[in-house]
Amino acid sequence: MEHGGNLVNRTIMMPASVDEAVEALAATPGAVPVAGATDLMEAVNGGRLRPAALIGLGRITELRGWRYEDGGTAVLGAGLTHARMDRPDFAALIPALADAARTAGPPQVRNVGTLGGNIATGAPAGDTLPVLAALEATATLARPGTVREVPISHLLTGLDPLRPGELLTWVRVPLLHAPQVFLKSTGRSGPSRAAASVALVLDPARRGVRCAVGAVAPVPLRPLEAESWVAGCIDWDARGEDGAVLIDPAALAAFGEYVAAACVPEGAAGGEGAGPAGARLRRTVAVLARRALGRALK
Amino acid sequence: MTSATELPAAAPADDETGSTGLGSSPLRTDALPKALGIYPYAADLWAEGLLWGAVLRSPHPHARIVSVDTSAALAVPGVHAVVTAADLPGGSDGGADGATPGPVVADRPVLASGVVRHHGEPVAAVAADHPDTARLAAAAILVEYEVLEPVTDPEAAFHAPPLHPDGNLLRHLPLRTGDPDAVGEIVVEGLYQVGRQDPAPIGAEAGLAVPRPDGGVELHLSSTDPHGDRDRTAACLGLDPDRVRLVVTGVPGATADREDLSFQVTLALLALRTGRPVKMTLTRAESFQAHTTRHPALLRYRHHADADGRLVKVEAQILLDGGAYADVSAEALAAAVAFSVGPYTCPNVFVDAWAVRTNNPPAGRMRGEGALQTCFAYESQLDQLAKQLGVDPLEIRRRNAMSTGDPLPTGQAVTCPAPVTALLDALADSPLPALPLDDPEADWLLPGGPGGAGDPAAVRRGIGYAVGMVHMLGAEGEDEVATATVRVSGDHATVICAAVDSGQGFATLARQIVQSVLGVSEVYIAPVDSDQSAAGPAARGRHTWVSGGAVERAALMVRHQMLQPIAADFGMSVELLTISDGKITSYDGVLGMPVSQALEGRELWATAQCRPHPTEPLDPETGQGDAFVSIAFCAMRAVVDVDIELGAVRVVDVTVAQDVGRALNPRQIENRIEGAVAQGVGLALLENLRTEHGIPLNASLTGYRLPTALDTPDIRIAALLEERDVVAPFGAKAVSAAPAVVAPAAVAAAVRAATGLPVGRLPILPEDATLA
Ligand SMILES: Cc1cc2nc3c(=O)[nH]c(=O)nc-3n(C[C@H](O)[C@H](O)[C@H](O)COP(=O)(O)OP(=O)(O)OC[C@H]3O[C@@H](n4cnc5c(N)ncnc54)[C@H](O)[C@@H]3O)c2cc1C
Repeated sequence: MEHGGNLVNRTIMMPASVDEAVEALAATPGAVPVAGATDLMEAVNGGRLRPAALIGLGRITELRGWRYEDGGTAVLGAGLTHARMDRPDFAALIPALADAARTAGPPQVRNVGTLGGNIATGAPAGDTLPVLAALEATATLARPGTVREVPISHLLTGLDPLRPGELLTWVRVPLLHAPQVFLKSTGRSGPSRAAASVALVLDPARRGVRCAVGAVAPVPLRPLEAESWVAGCIDWDARGEDGAVLIDPAALAAFGEYVAAACVPEGAAGGEGAGPAGARLRRTVAVLARRALGRALK
Repeated sequence: MTSATELPAAAPADDETGSTGLGSSPLRTDALPKALGIYPYAADLWAEGLLWGAVLRSPHPHARIVSVDTSAALAVPGVHAVVTAADLPGGSDGGADGATPGPVVADRPVLASGVVRHHGEPVAAVAADHPDTARLAAAAILVEYEVLEPVTDPEAAFHAPPLHPDGNLLRHLPLRTGDPDAVGEIVVEGLYQVGRQDPAPIGAEAGLAVPRPDGGVELHLSSTDPHGDRDRTAACLGLDPDRVRLVVTGVPGATADREDLSFQVTLALLALRTGRPVKMTLTRAESFQAHTTRHPALLRYRHHADADGRLVKVEAQILLDGGAYADVSAEALAAAVAFSVGPYTCPNVFVDAWAVRTNNPPAGRMRGEGALQTCFAYESQLDQLAKQLGVDPLEIRRRNAMSTGDPLPTGQAVTCPAPVTALLDALADSPLPALPLDDPEADWLLPGGPGGAGDPAAVRRGIGYAVGMVHMLGAEGEDEVATATVRVSGDHATVICAAVDSGQGFATLARQIVQSVLGVSEVYIAPVDSDQSAAGPAARGRHTWVSGGAVERAALMVRHQMLQPIAADFGMSVELLTISDGKITSYDGVLGMPVSQALEGRELWATAQCRPHPTEPLDPETGQGDAFVSIAFCAMRAVVDVDIELGAVRVVDVTVAQDVGRALNPRQIENRIEGAVAQGVGLALLENLRTEHGIPLNASLTGYRLPTALDTPDIRIAALLEERDVVAPFGAKAVSAAPAVVAPAAVAAAVRAATGLPVGRLPILPEDATLA
């Protein structure tokens, strides 16, 4: 471990509160926060990152859990591990996020990898990201003396990125009390990064369907037109009645194709959506989107 | 016999019976240290004052080296040496034709000179006082390249400008037997493709070189061929072989050759240059560039059969992509040709096979090289034939199965047991796995991965069969020999044999052999180094045969020395005495003497060699000849679930029937079969080192997908058929390669059965398993 060994010579701080962490981050030039280190150490070992100092977030207990706000919102700590989010109490709250966390790598990685790390890394195949996009979640970013709230999608697209010295502390997620699904296709049976993923949540109060497709582009994509079209195809009043048909199967299939065409457009030759690989990806997305909606409406 | 492979319930113990001799399954000596993480590998080595080595590699798959300027690297503080091809004896008089001057083994230079022929080819190396310094300095070496057009399509290699003075054709081997005009009532044709499997050993290349006071060098490496590596290293350095000592350290995974020559020569050169110990460990990305891969292959087949499905004629064209250097391509090609029909009889066979040079990553030895590629093709052909005739796939194989004594298309009679029909019968009798049940766990077991993408309504189950064969030991006249020494004193024995336990379990086997012959309870297996007598490489199932045979002979000689005086005293022949549990007893029970007493404080020892019968090269015009010492067979049934909308495949179960000659250590055999099946499933579904313009695209363990526990099916042994091979020591056949050869074909057959699609390439991609 000759590369990782370099970290021994560097400053590592383990603050016990958000305030301390934010102060330490501001006070130490070149300092980088680290949570589970499952992304960070990969970059260090690969020689792509040589942090001057590390601010460990592992002792900030408050960030490792969640609380409720206004009755309708869950406020999730950035330090929640994937393994924690996969537990039944959390799964009952935000099922799609639990599903995403359950597949975000092998158990050893999910035991330490965190929600905050997944967002801050913002990898195309980050599994929580399409779920957060579909839920229209927001993130709290803290610096000494200032706190701001940013939609996750703005954070990921770079419209309003994480600034140097900023700590991601909380993630606000609306509680919808309705079915939601996350499906990830990997092309293998063992743990793997997504080839494509689909997050789909129902919002019965607003009679809405929200969907995001992961891993097919640098950031999760929302097929807004397909969402609103299919929301109109659903018999929202039939919910709960035995044997009720909530949606015509043909509409399910059409939704899949609609989502796929929107998120993996055929585009120009040589692009993501071009050629047989593009057709393949479109097909996978279509199947996932159709299945996701079908399961949500079951 | 049907038995599920079970792991020992609690702490693994020796065989239930407490027996440790041949046929039992004593615990491997390295099992516990490996499980506890305390088994030493080369990457763990350390020496006082050591320097760190780093290699600069070519970013181009094909380029002329215009100049190399090392001054910036030498100026980096902490750098002790920078070496290039010019520092190797033999000089740097690179010819205008791009010929590689200086010390080469076959055609592959230690450090590129004049020209680079594949991406990642080593060009220069650095020794420095810190690994980061070494890497930074290596990056500071200025190499001016004139980029050349790479030859990456093996079919284009024939007419492309020569990449090496001896041209791009590494070998052409035709095979002609029977009547070329024979025709069958049924003809099936197919084009098959096999991708580039990487051995991806779990421990990357690592080693330590220590200069010796006599001007020589000691290399600590996880070599699997210590004497071959010593000789080649010495030749490249211009040293006498006895000036190079190779000490074998723990081998972290070897299903191919380990520690390529360039790595070890460069390491030794840096140590000699600096007069200091030098350690080098490759990163995962470098490891993918450094070692050879399996040969990608293109195979075109035409089978003629009569109305009953009996083979009338097989025609094939086989093209192996050897990559930039020759390595063992010629040998792989011989196996591909000789086994081109598979374990079937066919009177008329016409094959043309070529191994060509390209600017792709070099291909080399990897379990069943050559035999694996053709197995996929001929088994796919048999499936086509069965489908056309409407015959059960097992039945079509039974109708054509070869038996002991039948000829290979090379004219060689298969004199070793060829229990092909018995293997098929064992599979037919083996129960099928249950269909997925409606339990909450079932979600996890659907194809498509743990992400819940799979849908039970879209899942089709398929069952496929394959049979295959692979030779043991070196072929075509290669001299096979191993030497071993056995020493006994008191109540323990020592084995000195340079056969490396690369994980295949040779040390455990040697211990079992000596315990069986000499009845001593404690057997010490000496660590391997090149000062011992040679035993050859750990490959082609050699060590069970030649090294196991040598150990047995030496042990028998010691036994004779021990028993001869006692027999003489008692006036009986040695044959009437037996040794077990440390005691010598006579047939009539009169004598009962502890071994230690018989030894009377003496130490007895003997050295013996084992050399199997010679073989001959295949005829370059007709492909005829007795090229192989012996052949092992394996039959397999794979059960897969396919999500036909996503094209996702999960292998549910693989059941194996294998021809083992004699099961010397059943548990070890099961482990070897499990490992080989996992590797075969990897090749069938996941593993492919993809290249674009000769540059690997996925040279990392994220991009190159090795099978995990979830990708690996339940593996069951339907039968370990024990029909002894009379010419083999103990009658045993090697076990690791045959299942690796057959598993990809079996998985492909199952996917074919599930989808009805042709499945003509490996690995099987989602689009090959999707129904519109
Ligand atoms: C073998 C393996 C498999 C994996 N498989 C998957 C997978 O299938 N799906 C998937 O989505 N991911 C996967 N990952 C990636 C990784 O585990 C996840 O992205 C994880 O969520 C990262 O969290 P972490 O706590 O380990 O982040 P860290 O590595 O600690 O940090 C990652 C980055 O985020 C920054 N950061 C962390 N916390 C904060 C914060 N609170 N505020 C600001 N910046 C912060 C760090 O500075 C760093 O730049 C895998 C990783 C490995 C090693």
